[in-house]
Amino acid sequence: MEKGRINRGCMEANTLAIIDSSAEFHNHKDSQEAKDDRIDFLEAVRTASVVPENGTPPTKKMVDAVFTILRAGESLELIMSSYELLNEIEMHFPRVYISESSGNAPRELVVVKEAWLPFMVSLDVMSSEKETDRRKSCPLLDPNGFHELILGLAEMAYKTASQRLDTKFLGNMLLFQYLVNVLEGDFVPHINMYKESLNWNILRECTLNMLLASRRINYKVLMKDCLYTICALCQDYAGNYNESECSETSSEKSSENHNTDVAIALFEVQRATCMAMQKLLIMSMELDMSKQQAHMLCLTNRSRSDGVRTPVVEIVLDELTYHRNILPTFLQVFNDPKWKLEIIVQYLLKYTKPSVRTRRSNGPSENSTFLGVLKSFSDSSSSRNIIKKLGVEVVQLLLAHAFLAYMSMASQQHLAAMPDCNEAVLDSSSVVEISKSVAAAFNSLREVDEKIQISTLGKEALFTAAIIISTL
Amino acid sequence: MMDVDEPLDFELEDSLLINPVVSNKRKKLMGLDELLTEHYKEQSKLIENEAKKQAKAQKTYDSDEDKNCKEAMLASLLDDCQKQVKAISSGEEMSEWGLCVFGQQKATPPLSFPELGSWSNFQSFMNNELNSLVGLTSEQVCSFLEGLLKNGWLLRLILKCGRVEKTIAVWTFSLMLYSSKEELRSSACEFWCAILSSKIQIDARPIEIDWYPNYSELKRALEIYGFLFNSSSSISAENSSDCKGPPQNIITWIKFTAVYCQIRCKQSVLLTSDCQELAAVIICLFLDRQLQGLSVLMRDCMQSVISSFTDEEWINSYSRIAKSVASRVPLDLNCLRAVQCISGVDTRTKHLKSVVAFEILVNCFDDKVANEEGILTWLISINVKEKSCDFFKMYIYVVLAENWLRYDEMFSEKPVIREMWGLFLRNCSCQISSTDLRPQASKVRNKAAYLLQGIGNS
Repeated sequence: MEKGRINRGCMEANTLAIIDSSAEFHNHKDSQEAKDDRIDFLEAVRTASVVPENGTPPTKKMVDAVFTILRAGESLELIMSSYELLNEIEMHFPRVYISESSGNAPRELVVVKEAWLPFMVSLDVMSSEKETDRRKSCPLLDPNGFHELILGLAEMAYKTASQRLDTKFLGNMLLFQYLVNVLEGDFVPHINMYKESLNWNILRECTLNMLLASRRINYKVLMKDCLYTICALCQDYAGNYNESECSETSSEKSSENHNTDVAIALFEVQRATCMAMQKLLIMSMELDMSKQQAHMLCLTNRSRSDGVRTPVVEIVLDELTYHRNILPTFLQVFNDPKWKLEIIVQYLLKYTKPSVRTRRSNGPSENSTFLGVLKSFSDSSSSRNIIKKLGVEVVQLLLAHAFLAYMSMASQQHLAAMPDCNEAVLDSSSVVEISKSVAAAFNSLREVDEKIQISTLGKEALFTAAIIISTL
Repeated sequence: MMDVDEPLDFELEDSLLINPVVSNKRKKLMGLDELLTEHYKEQSKLIENEAKKQAKAQKTYDSDEDKNCKEAMLASLLDDCQKQVKAISSGEEMSEWGLCVFGQQKATPPLSFPELGSWSNFQSFMNNELNSLVGLTSEQVCSFLEGLLKNGWLLRLILKCGRVEKTIAVWTFSLMLYSSKEELRSSACEFWCAILSSKIQIDARPIEIDWYPNYSELKRALEIYGFLFNSSSSISAENSSDCKGPPQNIITWIKFTAVYCQIRCKQSVLLTSDCQELAAVIICLFLDRQLQGLSVLMRDCMQSVISSFTDEEWINSYSRIAKSVASRVPLDLNCLRAVQCISGVDTRTKHLKSVVAFEILVNCFDDKVANEEGILTWLISINVKEKSCDFFKMYIYVVLAENWLRYDEMFSEKPVIREMWGLFLRNCSCQISSTDLRPQASKVRNKAAYLLQGIGNS
């Protein structure tokens, strides 16, 4: 152990010396040499910690420096190298993991307390002066900083494609992806352990919960911002733009700004950022669900951190209800089948007959609920009612996407037997049943109004349903 | 375990931080080798001289300290000097890595597929009663299928039916590589990745695929993107103003290739030689600055190609890959980039990294020396005091040799090589003075000093 510490201290001093010297000698931070030194530093940290088998984790100061490089985002090369290195460190030296059960001892959650974390969160509500001071010089993000990062992404997402060809924007998207990766690495073992032990304190202390419970941010606004950013970011690659125009502007731009390197990666990074943001929403939904369960089992206490929070699903539903214009984009980009189906079913339940409207369920719906919603279309007066409230376009959109999500869930179960999936076994008979009900629902839409246009998505859903009914 | 929060013990570190003067190690080494002793004597003299010089420099500096205004003037002078030095050195070849690995793009093949209408599911749907709602006619087949693909229906259907017909396979493959529409490309890629993954995922029902692309198809796509397979035609990125880089389609190519290699264990889709070529191609992609933003994808792809070899194939492959890379990269910062892009985290990439660095080093000496001792003897014999010493090359040698030896798993069992390497580093770190203003001299010195500490620790 003693030797280990010497090595680590030494590693820290030696690697940090690579960038320190550059800061001293070249006052010009932008100089090529300074950048080269930072690249060398990243490479040195990598070879010292990640490369050796049983390597020692880098010290806090070292990771701080790597993280600072990513946040500074001076060049694409530095951004990519620091981003990849941080993820490698995350993978090699997990901060939280579940220990293997040995003999009779149960599995336990192991939290490496001294491990570096890019967030500054704590359950304490009071922020001391000292802490505010510290924040200035420190690269770590507090809840506010995290929200600001998302706002920055949202702002950029609404700009034109050529305005988005910005290294800094790309860097911020990667920074966000990394942060979500960290949150996930922390959240997954916490929630798995909670499910095993039903000890709410375990989940209470996960970084995501502390982040969302922080009084420094408006949690509701944060979640809404995520939702809108997802919709804005996916505009390009979801086909709502003119590709030739974009590539023209990008090649134009490249001649002056050498931004072709950003251009080629932009959509890919935007897509990945959308997925990361979706992951953030889903983790929050899972957290809500467990929290509700803990509430019902009286495991929580009413301290501030366990205070009442509107479930994310409700926030999303409200936004989709009052701003129906984002509904198509949201449904197109949000691709987690379980939660997508849940959201659509809840959405439709708001508009179906009151008798069908059940108490808001605590978990993702049983497939019977989707089936139940579909059945409500068999009654022509109820279909007419829904069409009147939502419009025939929206009804088709919701039905088609719900069917798609259901199919994805069915095939996912095929691909990987999900351990925590609800017992509703989606066998082929129920897929056929759902397909028949979808076809029947569309038929009854037509019965209500002979003249209605079946949308493209609706036609595709009907085609799929027909093939499934006839071949299985 | 290790406590990070505790203040560092600086005394302990300092002894290591100070340039490792060899005095305490010398005794141990004395009897080792004639060659070594000779060099050490020479070196210790040089160090002493160095120390004297430094002491002098220190003195003159001290005496200046009380004259404040002079100091300010000197500081500004020094600043100017540094700027000048920088201007001079930036004009040297040490600029940035970056090659133009993509040239002129070629015309993409036509994407019309009249035979799509023969898809069995279409035929059956035409007679289905539900078609009264949809009103699908055979003219709309193509656009309708595009919709099915884009929105994910096609994948769900195929996963349900368990089989991909040849028409669908060929059509989606072409869209994935050649379509100009981002949406179609990425959904086609997602489609292929999902059906291929069904073959390797546990618990998954493998999808029957009637047609597999072969390597020539992948290669053809690269050619159409403008990839320069011929090493002589790839040019330094600085010299070419019209280096446009590949189309966006390269992204789906990289993603597909990564997954395609993974299924080699289940399906004989690519030959060993194909994968060797692919590995070299992907290392080349890393040399194009325009593709930097895709480095995560490219690294995944390389990892997947390398792990797709069987052990037996690997033994016959790594040196071919290394030689092919070495023959292709110019001996400047690009060759360092080629070595650096190999991850070196697992056994195979460690091995490859070491061999690639070694092969490039051999190329540096025009094959005059080809064995390990030979290379190190050559390196040690370089006189850094000589005016004509090319420190840019020295830097390349130091980094290449570092990678060759660090990732060589047999390194600890080669004491002679170890000693020679240490000697070479000491030459660089001690014989180059810290005030040496020749271009890149300090870079070589710092690098060597850093590496030397690593050796001291292990």
